[in-house]
Amino acid sequence: MMQPNLIPTLDPNPLPAPYWVFKLLLVVTFFLHIVAMNFMLGGAVLALVSKWRSRKGVNGNRVFFDVARKLPSLLPATITLGIAPLLFVQVLYGQFFYTSSIIIAWPWFLVLVFLTIAYYGFYYVSFQSGQHARKAGRVMLSSVILIFLIGFVYSNNLTLSQSPSRWGGKYFADPAGWNLNLSEPTLIPRFLHFMVAAVAVGGLFLVFVALANWKRDGEYARQVLQLGGKAFMYATMAQLVVGVWFLASLPRDMRMLFMGDNPLATILLLVGAAGGIGAIFLMSDALRKENVRVAAFYVPGITGVVILSMSVMRDILRDAYLKPYFHPEQFVVKTQWSVFPLFLVLFLAGVVLWLVMLKRYGLFSGTKAAGTLPSAGSQAAKQS
Amino acid sequence: MNYPAWDVAFGAGLLIALVAILHVFVSHFAVGGGLFLVLTEQKARRNNDLALLNWLKSHTRFFVLVTVVFGAVSGVGIWFTIGLISPAATSNLIHAYVWGWAIEWVFFFIEITAALLYLYGWEKLDARLHEWYGWIYFIAAFASMVVINGIITFMLTPGNWVKNHQFWTGFFNPTSFPSLFLRFAIALALAGIYALITASVQKDAALKARIVRWSALWIVPSLAVLPALGWWYIRKIPADVWASARGPMPTGTHYAVLAAVLLAVTFALALLTLVRPGRIPLAFSLLVALVALGAMGSFEFVREAIRKPYVIGSYLYANSLYATQMPGDGGFSVDEVNNAGILQTAKWINNRELTKDNQVTVGREVFRVECQSCHTTNSYRGVKSYLELRQWDQNEIQAMLGGLEFMHNGVMPPFAGTDSERNALAAFLSTIQPIPAGAAAVADGKTVFERNCVMCHQVSTADPFYSKLPKDPNAANEALKDLPSLFPLMPDLKLSDQERTALVQWMNTQRSAKGPGTATQGGN
Repeated sequence: MMQPNLIPTLDPNPLPAPYWVFKLLLVVTFFLHIVAMNFMLGGAVLALVSKWRSRKGVNGNRVFFDVARKLPSLLPATITLGIAPLLFVQVLYGQFFYTSSIIIAWPWFLVLVFLTIAYYGFYYVSFQSGQHARKAGRVMLSSVILIFLIGFVYSNNLTLSQSPSRWGGKYFADPAGWNLNLSEPTLIPRFLHFMVAAVAVGGLFLVFVALANWKRDGEYARQVLQLGGKAFMYATMAQLVVGVWFLASLPRDMRMLFMGDNPLATILLLVGAAGGIGAIFLMSDALRKENVRVAAFYVPGITGVVILSMSVMRDILRDAYLKPYFHPEQFVVKTQWSVFPLFLVLFLAGVVLWLVMLKRYGLFSGTKAAGTLPSAGSQAAKQS
Repeated sequence: MNYPAWDVAFGAGLLIALVAILHVFVSHFAVGGGLFLVLTEQKARRNNDLALLNWLKSHTRFFVLVTVVFGAVSGVGIWFTIGLISPAATSNLIHAYVWGWAIEWVFFFIEITAALLYLYGWEKLDARLHEWYGWIYFIAAFASMVVINGIITFMLTPGNWVKNHQFWTGFFNPTSFPSLFLRFAIALALAGIYALITASVQKDAALKARIVRWSALWIVPSLAVLPALGWWYIRKIPADVWASARGPMPTGTHYAVLAAVLLAVTFALALLTLVRPGRIPLAFSLLVALVALGAMGSFEFVREAIRKPYVIGSYLYANSLYATQMPGDGGFSVDEVNNAGILQTAKWINNRELTKDNQVTVGREVFRVECQSCHTTNSYRGVKSYLELRQWDQNEIQAMLGGLEFMHNGVMPPFAGTDSERNALAAFLSTIQPIPAGAAAVADGKTVFERNCVMCHQVSTADPFYSKLPKDPNAANEALKDLPSLFPLMPDLKLSDQERTALVQWMNTQRSAKGPGTATQGGN
């Protein structure tokens, strides 16, 4: 039953910048968040895979701990980069997002609990060394399962946020918030689409690990390259199947958007599919030739374009779902000129400072810290 | 009403309190602890104190595990929780202050990166560069606190924002500076308090003593200035905001007293650590932290209690209704709901029609959309215990609901809705604590006063209750028969003859016993 009157009205405050500004920020920060999430989750999954393979005599424990030590940085990157799209989605789609969150309130709240436990799990593993490998593996597995659950709750919430016709039935059946959106036909393919992508991009993360070790320990780096590259290839192949499943599960008018009805959406889908297939071949070639540069620069470059086009497609799909209920013209725009430029300045300054911080730490120059020269220290201190 | 109301059995308010208090206890540490790290590092290097430096390395790890993990997740947690429980307020906060939040996010990003590089940099960087990361961390964390403080104080004392809706007017509101200094002092004290925890597990007694003394140097002066900063803060809070904490149900005052007591205990415990600084056990440092958590929690409860009945001062009530009608309010102001009725205005209710048979069902829904953001039936801020105390029957409840905004010096929003919806709510509430009509009549004047009058009146000759009511018992008895004619805002409460006689008698004995001008708090 359609209950359009259930959709909350906006609050009286105008939008403090034009609609497209928030849209741009939403899509770009979502893209960054999803890349970080993919590195984190995919990296963790592949760390477990390599650990499992280590029983067959492969140097898997080393890969496991190498990746595990990066997770306490990748998870906060995911969270921090996730806060921005969480903020901007509330700016534009609060009416839908708050409502669906409330309907599945307890699973949504449990995300926090799962995240905290998974996070401490990652730290626990990162502090271990070889002798506690078995226990570390079990803890890592628990963390990974919890993060999968978080992803599943997210898929539930975001699909429900764009299906207002399902709200009333769910809410009034259980106002205490023990709901999910399991009857949504796109739920499983959508969830898998994100999770399989994570494994593929996690493979690229291993390729970066291989690159970092290339000169120091060639044999190990080659193993890691093979593991990461193959994971990328197989997961991307699986993604072609999951992606088709996801597309097929969409309502017909949504599906047709990507098959001609909406030229931009169609082009983006083609870019995504062609990019994915191209990346598989390129990676296959790179693995055969053990060309780490191709695997670590060209393939991630193509993948970045693919993820970006997918992020835009995701946005087009959301707006298509919400078309009967959501009209950007509804916003009264009153740009806060006294603070919006300040944000832009601080944002750019923040990006520069962030890069300087990484550079001085030596992250862009191999393994040695760049900041060992006192003169460099005093210069940058002035910049801060 | 605009959004669905999440039905949290044990109390939505309690859930927010839990998440928020744990978060602030960690997030203030994240600010003060940052300065502590970098200054302690400088001190250790200056004195060539390798033992201290080694402890600081492990303390950094503890710091990151507490602040970067729990602090960050619980910070996101507050967003999740307020979005679930007060979506209308969250939406307002987002639209009015999104650029503030976005700026805060930039600082937060820098902060988290700097914290991790500082942690991992212990083994990798030279001293100067390492300290550089420490300073960046602290400056970003402090800046982040400045932004959040501006927005949180805006919610309590929005000042002229209510009129002009300007970003900076709300940001630099009457309490933003006192609150910022107060919070920074708390942050510095917490830096020392958390340091006691990792210090207390050190085996080297001399090292432990050095850290404890150094920590005390952070705790004691910071706590010593807190009363002055607190006084400044309180002075900047408008009298009408404080009013509810001074009424017959002074929850805010109770928490303020509790905060002060726990603060004094924290102070005393911090001084005690100096008696044998080399020998404080882990249990003791945890006790200090626990008492400080209690003090911090009480302080946050004060803020929350005095902010009532609003969630954004003078603008949005805690139950998500706007205080005054304005363009774009969607019909969700008190006046509009009074006119149109809840059943026609609310989006998230099942029953649109009120009949004789569905009064209780509708009343339950009215309770859900209008009361449940703060109350439960039988748990946190449960109405059952309140009704038990007052012993009101359905008619009395209905009369009292008409003057919610006057009770307890205005701690609650007014009931918004039509008279028949108010009746339905009364019908539902009377099922929670059933009292047959007239059954609760008592002959004891004090009890009559405490059940029916104390929520608005005080036993004081200054109170209109004494000044307006005739001294002659018969005349007073007669006047009490029709309360609204005595004063238009009074509820139309029908006391029995017996109750009126007892009340008048008791009042007159109070009048002679207290003498003019004395005031005592009535009720509980």
